[in-house]
Amino acid sequence: MLTVTPHHFLILSFILVGIGFFGLLIRRNVLLMLMSLELMLNGINVALLTFSRVGNNLDGGIFVFFIMTVAAAEVAVGLALLVALYKKRRSVLSDDMALLKN
Amino acid sequence: MEMYIKFANDNLWAELWPELSLGLGAMIVLGINLFSNSSNAQRNAGNFAVLFQFLLLLIHLFDYLLIRHTFDRESFSGMLQHGIHQDIMRSFFLFSSLLVSLLGQGFLVSRQLRIGEFHHLVMVATAGLMVLCQSQNFLVFFVALETVALCFYPLVAYHKDSAKSLEAGIKYLIFGALSSALLLLGIVLLYGVGANPAAWGATLPSVGSSDSFSFNNLYHLLAQNPDHLLLRSGVVLIISGIAFKIGAAPFQIWVPDVYHGAPMPVTAFLAVSSKAAGFFVLLTLVNGPFAGMSDFLLPLFGFVATFTIFFGNLAACSQRNLKRMLGLSGVAHAGYLMVAVMASMILPGSSDRAVWILFFYLFTYLLASFAVFGVMGMAKVSDDAAHEFSDYENLAKKKPWAGFTLVVGIGSLAGIPPLAGFIGKLLLFSVAFETKLYFSLVAMVIGVVISIYYYFGWIREICFQPRPVFEDDEPRHDPWAGREGFALLKAVMLSLVFASIFLGLWQGPLGDAF
Repeated sequence: MLTVTPHHFLILSFILVGIGFFGLLIRRNVLLMLMSLELMLNGINVALLTFSRVGNNLDGGIFVFFIMTVAAAEVAVGLALLVALYKKRRSVLSDDMALLKN
Repeated sequence: MEMYIKFANDNLWAELWPELSLGLGAMIVLGINLFSNSSNAQRNAGNFAVLFQFLLLLIHLFDYLLIRHTFDRESFSGMLQHGIHQDIMRSFFLFSSLLVSLLGQGFLVSRQLRIGEFHHLVMVATAGLMVLCQSQNFLVFFVALETVALCFYPLVAYHKDSAKSLEAGIKYLIFGALSSALLLLGIVLLYGVGANPAAWGATLPSVGSSDSFSFNNLYHLLAQNPDHLLLRSGVVLIISGIAFKIGAAPFQIWVPDVYHGAPMPVTAFLAVSSKAAGFFVLLTLVNGPFAGMSDFLLPLFGFVATFTIFFGNLAACSQRNLKRMLGLSGVAHAGYLMVAVMASMILPGSSDRAVWILFFYLFTYLLASFAVFGVMGMAKVSDDAAHEFSDYENLAKKKPWAGFTLVVGIGSLAGIPPLAGFIGKLLLFSVAFETKLYFSLVAMVIGVVISIYYYFGWIREICFQPRPVFEDDEPRHDPWAGREGFALLKAVMLSLVFASIFLGLWQGPLGDAF
């Protein structure tokens, strides 16, 4: 009989964090990079809730709300900056962001 | 009634008065800004912010020097800790934000940017930094860290007519968010093992409560299980998240780009306040919760410090843009300060000699950095991001006071004998020798020698005219022509410089602590 154990949830969360991390590394579109960041944070939320459940400790469950708020705020700022830059450069690709060099 | 008294005794809101008043001041600045439509009235918001922070700094210094500097205290059920270190850092951040507001006022007025929002963000970021340094619980720690980061992203992109500033803002946001995600993953791993040690193969600490975010409990957990894989990964992830913030290698990649694109006052704010907060937090962590793992962390830190020192100094040598060069030299300074953190791990106690040396070094770094960035902010270059060496040609003859301020500031950053920066470096060397960190000591000495090369290249431009001028040359734009505004700013810059010289000659009561 196969049951779902906390380890499965942890593996899921590490896979999510890994997808987010590698997405951040290989994506060239800043919008997709922001989405990868969200995915990382959500993967961390899954891990946090698993740990909270295993430990019978509600602190982790409360922490999740803080993380969700912070993630929303971060993306709001990121999109605002991206829109401002798009108005100037007409591009959201990270390859086109090469003004800052020696 | 009993319950309320207990509640009031556990949550000492009065201990947080500097942060609360900064938040209030930030709201007032925003209010003044909202109800003033002419640019002249907007300027009042900035003047109010500067005055407010000045008064707050005076009252805070008065409060902790004369009234309650003697005892350590806790508030919010142990989530925050207040003591002499935290009070020193609070004054440090207030002083630095006052200078940022002052530099920012001149910068914003001359470039016709919005004034109120800048001061609002600076003040909120400072309140966040102050809470960050007092936190004794990862929940407060994370929220304070994110408050600071979320204020810094728009500040870096504040010059929104400049694509460079926006690009720097986006780069800082991506790297900053990645670093907070790594840090968060570390916190979660520590929490997970702490919440139920038996389920993850760790031994349960005999003391402590069930609050597995608090530094105190994590100290017992980590001291009992220094070899546990999940705990070790958590600690390494948290350290790498902080290494991003202080710009230590191998996480220094964002530093030159962000320093390059950010408006000048924000570059100074990043270089001083953000880095100082990172180091204080690192110090709190390695002397507090991570103390049980110092055998594992010391070699790691030694590698990071050496790598950081060499990378920062060697990369700075090849830079033509001054803001990039200052950013990379800041990376090198982060490497020197890492050695102080290592020394503090070896020396017993959390208030040892190395901690005081770190404070002294940070303070001299503040004085020198603001002198340098302040003068750079006055140059009338067409693009704020483009400060080349040739813009400073012969400055000492064109504007003697600006040349003097810059030379003393750069000299203090480089560590030239009569200046405060030299004493800071000397004390750092002595504590590295005392704790037998010979390898790091050698790296530091080599790093300082390399840094002389690029710092003195700049001094050479300021004092002399290295390139010949021909009759048929195109007339170049002189960023120092015309009259300078803001006599107050000039006076502040000069007093910073004199403080640098004075601290180099006489350390006074501070000398006893060394």
